[in-house]
Amino acid sequence: MTTLTTKLAGPTRRAFGAAAVAAAMIASLGASGAAAQSVEHPEGFNPDEWVIVASVINTTNPYMISNIEGAEAISEALGIPLEIVNSNNSSQTSISSIYAILASGKKPIMFVNTVASSDAPTIVEAVKQAGGYVTIWWNKPDEYKPQNVGDNFVAFQKHTGVDSGRCGAQALAEALSGEGNVILLPGVQDSTTSKTRVAGFKAEIAENYPGITILEERPSNWDPQLGGRNARDLIVKYGDQIDGVWSADDGMQIGAMQSFENAGLLDQVKFASDGLYPKTLEDIISGRGNNAIVGETFHRGYMASAIGLYTAYLAASGQIVPSELEDNKRESFFKLSCVTPANYEQYLQYDAEGAPAEFVSRLIENGPWDTEPVPLVGGGVEVLPES
Amino acid sequence: MKPDAPVVLKLTNVSRSFGKIRAVRSVSLEIRKGEVIGLTGENGAGKSTLLKILAGIERPDEGQMEINGKVANFKGPNDALKAGVGVVHQEQSLFTNLTVAENIEHQNINHQGLSRFGIHDWRRINREARKVLEKIGVDLDPRTRVGDLSFVDRQMVEIARAVSVNPDKSGTPLIILDEPTAVLEQAEVEVLEREIRKLREFASVIFVSHRLDEVLRICDRVVVMRHGELTSDRRTEGVTKDELFRAMVDETPAVATRSRAVPSKEGQAAIEVRDLTRHGRFRNVSFAVHPGEIVALVGTNGSGRGAIARALFGAETFDAGTIEVNGKAVSRWTIAKAVRAGLAYVPAERKVEGMIGGYPGTRNIALVHPEHARTGPFLRPRKMAQIAQEWFDRLGVSPNDIHQPLGQFSGGNQQKVVLAKWLNNPELKVLILDHPLRGLDIGVSQAVNREIRKACDKGTAVVLIPDTIEEALEMADEILVLKDGQVSARHDMRSAGELDVREIVSEMV
Amino acid sequence: MTSVMHEDGPRGAAGMKRNGNASMRRLIAEGAKGPIGLVAALVVLIVVFSFLNPRFASIENLQNVLFQVSVPLILVVGATLVIQMGSIDLSVEGIMGAAGMAWILLSPNTRTMIDLGMWAWLIALGLGLSLGLMTGVIYAKLKVPSFVVSLGTWYVGLGIAILLYGNNSLPSLTSDALARWPTGLTLGLPHSFWLAAGVLLFGLLISNYTNLGRGLMAIGNNEPIARTSGMPVNVYKIGAFAIAGLLGGLAGILATMQLGSGSTDIGFGQLFVGIPAAVIGGTALGGGEGGMTRSALGVFLLIILNNGLVLAGVDPDYQSGVFGLILLIAIIAVAWPERGRLKVAK
Repeated sequence: MTTLTTKLAGPTRRAFGAAAVAAAMIASLGASGAAAQSVEHPEGFNPDEWVIVASVINTTNPYMISNIEGAEAISEALGIPLEIVNSNNSSQTSISSIYAILASGKKPIMFVNTVASSDAPTIVEAVKQAGGYVTIWWNKPDEYKPQNVGDNFVAFQKHTGVDSGRCGAQALAEALSGEGNVILLPGVQDSTTSKTRVAGFKAEIAENYPGITILEERPSNWDPQLGGRNARDLIVKYGDQIDGVWSADDGMQIGAMQSFENAGLLDQVKFASDGLYPKTLEDIISGRGNNAIVGETFHRGYMASAIGLYTAYLAASGQIVPSELEDNKRESFFKLSCVTPANYEQYLQYDAEGAPAEFVSRLIENGPWDTEPVPLVGGGVEVLPES
Repeated sequence: MKPDAPVVLKLTNVSRSFGKIRAVRSVSLEIRKGEVIGLTGENGAGKSTLLKILAGIERPDEGQMEINGKVANFKGPNDALKAGVGVVHQEQSLFTNLTVAENIEHQNINHQGLSRFGIHDWRRINREARKVLEKIGVDLDPRTRVGDLSFVDRQMVEIARAVSVNPDKSGTPLIILDEPTAVLEQAEVEVLEREIRKLREFASVIFVSHRLDEVLRICDRVVVMRHGELTSDRRTEGVTKDELFRAMVDETPAVATRSRAVPSKEGQAAIEVRDLTRHGRFRNVSFAVHPGEIVALVGTNGSGRGAIARALFGAETFDAGTIEVNGKAVSRWTIAKAVRAGLAYVPAERKVEGMIGGYPGTRNIALVHPEHARTGPFLRPRKMAQIAQEWFDRLGVSPNDIHQPLGQFSGGNQQKVVLAKWLNNPELKVLILDHPLRGLDIGVSQAVNREIRKACDKGTAVVLIPDTIEEALEMADEILVLKDGQVSARHDMRSAGELDVREIVSEMV
Repeated sequence: MTSVMHEDGPRGAAGMKRNGNASMRRLIAEGAKGPIGLVAALVVLIVVFSFLNPRFASIENLQNVLFQVSVPLILVVGATLVIQMGSIDLSVEGIMGAAGMAWILLSPNTRTMIDLGMWAWLIALGLGLSLGLMTGVIYAKLKVPSFVVSLGTWYVGLGIAILLYGNNSLPSLTSDALARWPTGLTLGLPHSFWLAAGVLLFGLLISNYTNLGRGLMAIGNNEPIARTSGMPVNVYKIGAFAIAGLLGGLAGILATMQLGSGSTDIGFGQLFVGIPAAVIGGTALGGGEGGMTRSALGVFLLIILNNGLVLAGVDPDYQSGVFGLILLIAIIAVAWPERGRLKVAK
């Protein structure tokens, strides 16, 4: 039976307020699913000694909510209770809340969506002390490798930003027939995710689309409103010279599209971004703004958390020995699908009711590295292409 | 004023006590319409409590107060204002960021149609304010921001505000001016005097001042308080300052008793001031204090003695003149520099400036010279306690508990600790004492005086502002008499013959 | 401040009217005259940016700037009232989130099938007002520092927004009329700005013509005297926070409309536009100083600076640094003529 609890995350008021709310929210979530455990644990693994922990950056971003859904699905399937850590965008909060959970005495099977790269070693060290197993997603220092740390740091996993940027670049350039001017809205300028996506975009353009000119890039901090404001300023600056807009995530794209719509330019401009948010999907389906959205990437937060937690579970239950895995399975890249108006339909199934549970059952069947639509495609440290 | 003018204020046997202290004792007083009454007395004589009763801030324990023929039972300052009693405080109580008109009228804004549904009618507010200003004969634009006015103009605004609350058609306002001249320059005092003459046309005035010249010049009648009682209430004609002063101070036999070896006036002075001047406070003050010598500064409250003491210690600035410490002229004099040079200051406002009430004796004593209980940057609590215990024993502080917060001690014992704080410095050069015996009983006073003399014997120079002239006669080697910020007389006690209180008083007023 | 002699006295209706206009003119002049430094800094910025990119001075950009200015302008009116009495309101982001989310979920949107029309506005504004009232009552009656109370309100507001948001998809406006209203033009200026200008006028009236507004100034200057002279100090304090809450709600609705979608973070970053704008305008954090006009100019300074840097094509790597540097210079220019008046923050 699944137990859903939320720790008060850290000493700050923010944590208190938001965590209390998150608790209520998650409690209401949990009420819907009451499926039974679907996995036979191997001999010698006592699920009562373990707790599944999913640490997310906040509980308002759709991607983070999806992370939580994946963790819930895994928790249900494995019959191990779940704790959610809400970091509230703060490394401090993240680490102190994780410490609090580790102090409870149970051994953690953990998924961490790190707030900052530098959090990874601290968290891993704590998990190691507690005898748990952890998979980190998205951010860690390049030189800090699971292979060098030991079995408790099971794996580091991500979708590569470069691929995401290339996806967007291809879609946008093809839609413009290789000719035109584009503007870029990166996220927080010095975040790895934003940097790799921007680098991928620029590399793809430089290598294959000489007719495309990048007019300007304005970091917009993953903030839809700032994306909107920057878009407005750039519309004033370049007027109808702008043919395409690439944003590092869908949130900023939503703001930017609103600005172009307000300026009466939405029909003439193409957009590409990352994440395929529900709102974006709607706009693709409805063909908003003369089919303004031409390219997206597909991956889901629940897939990331489920893969991460399942990998950690396999290590915890002795079904894999991390030190015996090849390097790609310790520092892993998972597939990112390029979505266009032509092929979006095949991804609708992953947003249907019960999709996380369905994904988890296939995950348990095929293992963490071979589950569509996000199989393992590579590994190591992501290298930024020259552009 | 006509003798048969209506009575505006009538006090009958009004008393007010605070614990054991009887601040106002059975005061009876009548003020008629158009009268200007001077109220004077030493600090602690009960003037301010009496004013607070009139202003509705304090309520009398006994007695009756009638204003314009009606019994007044004020529950707060608002009631007093409504009854027509306006107090112009020494520390001004205006909103400096609002306009003159708003300050004058803000009591009235909700009445008299000055605002409707909470919305100001600026035209009417300004008009009403202008009427009041005209009535008291002041030429100010009601729309000026009060913060942009001079001090005396702000005083006029306060007077206007006090006047603006009209009791009722027949009532006469009572305006109380609480030491209004204390911080005014001569020209400004004249403006104020003109204003008072204007006020008496329609109001009665109580004028509180320490400056007896002014009181005699401005007022029709003068009332003196001492120990909470009215000791004198007479018309000003024919009264001399000397008579007034004797009504203010205790009648004690004037004997100069000296009980120390006479220190020498030779050699290097510990502290010497030349032509020290601060505009509006003191002018051209010069004196020198040698090691082991006690110099007393005597004068009335507004004579500048306190300001001089604070200037010596770097707590106030001065505009001209020099201070030399151990023969070296000081520049950019601050408290920190003064402390480093070996100066010490026991302030009159002991509770506010002299100690930290929440700290125990140990930490209070270690405040200024922690270096005696320190290793490197770290305080040594044991050493601190040991030093504190020595002082507690030596001065007989009671209760003898160095860890009890000082705020819980009686005033006399607090003063001992404050003194110990400064005496706990072998390098002490100059000890400045502002009313060191204020509020202390005989026994503690003697203990404090003994410590002061001991410090002198070790070569400390003392500048003393005594509570009483007798105290100066007893302690000092030299007495400087100050009047209106200037030295009006000097008496070297080593050579002077018989000197009595009366002579010094005549030089003070 | 210079004294202007004022002819008053018995006059006909025409005379009174003229007089009324005179006091309105004086009011505006008073607001604008103080911050000479601020106006100068703005003029310099505008001239330099126009020189760097002629499009900066275009009508199109004017509309753009006015559009961007409107949300912070609404907020700064509330912030100024609160700061003038010597308090501070940190809750705007939470209140904006709660009111914006409530509004969009009750208006035609992709999430709920509810459309309450005018009631959506009233409920969302009521939510903002209640949160403001709550802050004010706790602050004034329980004597908890406003810094702490409003910090709590921030998270309460954010919590409400998160609850309303649930774990569903982002709600976006389905009514074209609503989504286009903020950018629609009347007399060449966007509706957003007209709304904000209306709020600013409301703020000027409150601040200069009401017992409340003048009382807040008095409290900021000297609260003990305000109390002893019988002012309803607590009522005024609660009133200031209630107005700030109401305007926070309005700003949340407008920002949601501008974005076309609801977001719990709709107020993100607004706190650090409103308060600095007020302070740059000369509203001392200690209270008692400053005014609406000045705060509004402060908002314009911040928004124009940002807009100008984008149009001038300053490299994103340098933008933050350049923004900060120019802001510092501008603040020194603004503060120099009145360095004596700015008090310590509390």
